[in-house]
Amino acid sequence: MTITLTHYLILGAALFCLGIYGAITRKNAIGILMSLELVFNAVNINLVAAARWQPDGGLRGQLFALFVIAAAAAESVLGLAIILAIYRRRVVVNADEMDLMKN
Amino acid sequence: MADAVLFYALGGLLLVSAALVVTVKNIFHAALYLALALFVVAAIYVTLGAYFLAAIQVLVYIGAVVVLAIFVINLTRTVTGAPVTLSRRWVIPAALVSALTACLIAVALLKAADSSPASPPATADATAAIGRGLLGQWVLPFELVSVLLLSSLIASIAIVGKDREEER
Repeated sequence: MTITLTHYLILGAALFCLGIYGAITRKNAIGILMSLELVFNAVNINLVAAARWQPDGGLRGQLFALFVIAAAAAESVLGLAIILAIYRRRVVVNADEMDLMKN
Repeated sequence: MADAVLFYALGGLLLVSAALVVTVKNIFHAALYLALALFVVAAIYVTLGAYFLAAIQVLVYIGAVVVLAIFVINLTRTVTGAPVTLSRRWVIPAALVSALTACLIAVALLKAADSSPASPPATADATAAIGRGLLGQWVLPFELVSVLLLSSLIASIAIVGKDREEER
């Protein structure tokens, strides 16, 4: 029994959906960010696996995944900075209590 | 046969740790399970022959992102003194959405499965080729990413450091 590209893509899909589940159910903003990291990693697994089965041996997929990692790191830094700033001003970390702009 | 055992072991460990990340009550434990899940993703990169990407995954994700998340968890917890527990909401709609999305992707993949060859072409270590590509053909996105990282660094300092000026 050999492992094909479909195995890796289904693993990526399962990880993606677990991340979606976490992003919907978490109330804590840091928990939502951590679920989004799972989604990014699912996409990266798909990219690397799909490029591995290309004739050039997966170089482009690895480069693209590298840029995704850099963008995800920037996103994570900014998200955590915003959470920390909101916490300092209003002492909330739950996403449904950050409702200053509501109404 | 050996790679099948390795794939199922790593995939099972990844899905279990990811499920724990999204369901466990204590957010500090969730961050530790996230570190485990990201490490298993690095191991999956190794099975795919992406050694450089596996090293970057460990350095950037576990070394920077998870540590930063733990810092923020501790900074937002110790001020109030209350333990950060996670309440859950919308469990059934979220489970429905993610399960249906998983079914959709899996059905689409299984319908298209016969087009992919069974075994990938053999490749050498791609680290040297990645380095040449980053400074050759893809030098423009490489420089753009460095600008993005610098701007996010400055922006995060500006966002978090603002309160101190107002206190004076």
